[in-house]
Amino acid sequence: MGKLGRKWSERFEFGFFTWPALICVAIAFYIPFAMTIRYSLTKWNGISKHPKFIGLDNFKQIFSGDANFANASWFTIKYALLYIVLINVLAIVLAVILDMKLKSKNWLRAAFFIPYILSLVIVGFIWKFIFMQGFESFYDITGWDIFKLSWLGEPGPAFVSVLLVSIWQSIGFYMVIYIAGLQSVPDDLKEAATVDGAGPFRRFFSVTLPLLAPSVTISVFMALTNSIKVFDVILSLTAGGPGGTTYSVAFDIYRDTFQNNMYGYGTAKALILFVAVLIITVIQLTIFKRREVEA
Amino acid sequence: MKSNKAGRIVLEVVMILLSLVFLYPLFLAVINSLKSFQEVMTDVIALPKKLAFENYSYVWKYIDYPRLFLNNTIVTVLGLAGIILISSIAAYKLARTKSRISSIVYFLCIMPMLIPFQSIMLTVLQLAKDINLSDSTWGLGILYWGFGAPLAIFIYHGFVKGIPKEIDESATIDGASGFRLFFTVIFPLLKSVTTTIIIIDVMWIWNDFLLPLLMVNGSPSTKTLTLAAYTFVGQYTSDWQYAMTAMVMAVLPSIIVFMFLQKHIVKGVVAGAVKG
Repeated sequence: MGKLGRKWSERFEFGFFTWPALICVAIAFYIPFAMTIRYSLTKWNGISKHPKFIGLDNFKQIFSGDANFANASWFTIKYALLYIVLINVLAIVLAVILDMKLKSKNWLRAAFFIPYILSLVIVGFIWKFIFMQGFESFYDITGWDIFKLSWLGEPGPAFVSVLLVSIWQSIGFYMVIYIAGLQSVPDDLKEAATVDGAGPFRRFFSVTLPLLAPSVTISVFMALTNSIKVFDVILSLTAGGPGGTTYSVAFDIYRDTFQNNMYGYGTAKALILFVAVLIITVIQLTIFKRREVEA
Repeated sequence: MKSNKAGRIVLEVVMILLSLVFLYPLFLAVINSLKSFQEVMTDVIALPKKLAFENYSYVWKYIDYPRLFLNNTIVTVLGLAGIILISSIAAYKLARTKSRISSIVYFLCIMPMLIPFQSIMLTVLQLAKDINLSDSTWGLGILYWGFGAPLAIFIYHGFVKGIPKEIDESATIDGASGFRLFFTVIFPLLKSVTTTIIIIDVMWIWNDFLLPLLMVNGSPSTKTLTLAAYTFVGQYTSDWQYAMTAMVMAVLPSIIVFMFLQKHIVKGVVAGAVKG
């Protein structure tokens, strides 16, 4: 009898400790997710009481020829690939330099990290001002054609602008991850390589970089999950322009649901984004696991 | 050896110059927030002839800065307190209980880390309206509990596993149990990991844009700082001096906090990324 009572009190306590979290997570994710699945099978403008069930028509329409979605997907893939490569290469270079015994090390680290603590929407606006007003003044002084280019007004440059501003805002984050990784590389390993006569580049590629592997995995993972959802910076910097060339998938979903009031259609796209993210994450984690075994 | 030293000095100078160029956009934002409209239009680079602090008093009043600051603080503190509380107790219990139900609950708690917010934003808004959490600063704070819990539970869970079970057992013998055991014995041991979670969540909630845009954009009295700055710039598209003033006012709190807590913030961000 006593044992049974104890068991029940344990169960009671388990529930007491875990239910609050489960309820909150359900409100934030599971219930909305279930609703998303349901709406994605309907045609709905958000106003009428009863969404009209249309089966998989939304998905058929998206895959059979939605130029907006195709363009936004293409933009997001290009953006994500370039972002992942550039930010990791640049952050590793920065981290290697700032891991040396420089006198201004602390200032430099803080300086490159600062944009990361700022809101992306605000960062987008500040850069919009630089591109639109600042570059004019830069051109007056330098006469360099690069400042005369319409950085937000033409498709190619606008893409570069979005990429550049995103990298500017978040490079400090990747830098500190790599610095932490470098600090865990034992000094005697680096020294041993020097004694063996390895030059700085050889040393970097054959000793430091392999030991940085765990940091690379984390950074690539973070860069991927962040870039595939890019939204805020585009909203304030280009608002999707010029001519709709800088719409990302996330922004396209936002446009369909909240600006065009195509709720059913928008949620269908949202569901596709979820599946894409899920597949990419699973692939990443599998690679992650395999590497752990090797190490 | 000598050339090595000279090379290092060159590198140092180059890096300092690079860092100044890197931060130049922020500097430009600050100086242009202190100029008149004419000055901004004629020359962005020049320093202001006369510091136009009236830009600040104008924007301060127009967007009701104290109110926004209070709203941001309410949302951040309320959100954070809830995340810490529900996540720490859940993660503790889940890490200590070995059963199938426990594993399932743990999986359900951390799985949502894979769901991108944009996939559910519309229906989150619908649900929030249904349960009266939309259009309210407090409601927004409460919504963050669920959005922040998965990562926090994941980080706490990993940490609790490293705390020996004997500590619980000896405390049980002393007569402590349930919540008292947790808050007097376990929670203090989680201090370092709690700091990490506080840092990453404060940076996230304070700067978050999309959820506040959906939830509290209806009335000026419920807006957050970033959101108000966003709407403000939308109304003043060509008055760059006011726009820059609003930008500076929006980012200044973060920069001030960063200057004081720099070391902790960087450490917390790294720890959060490595564990998360």
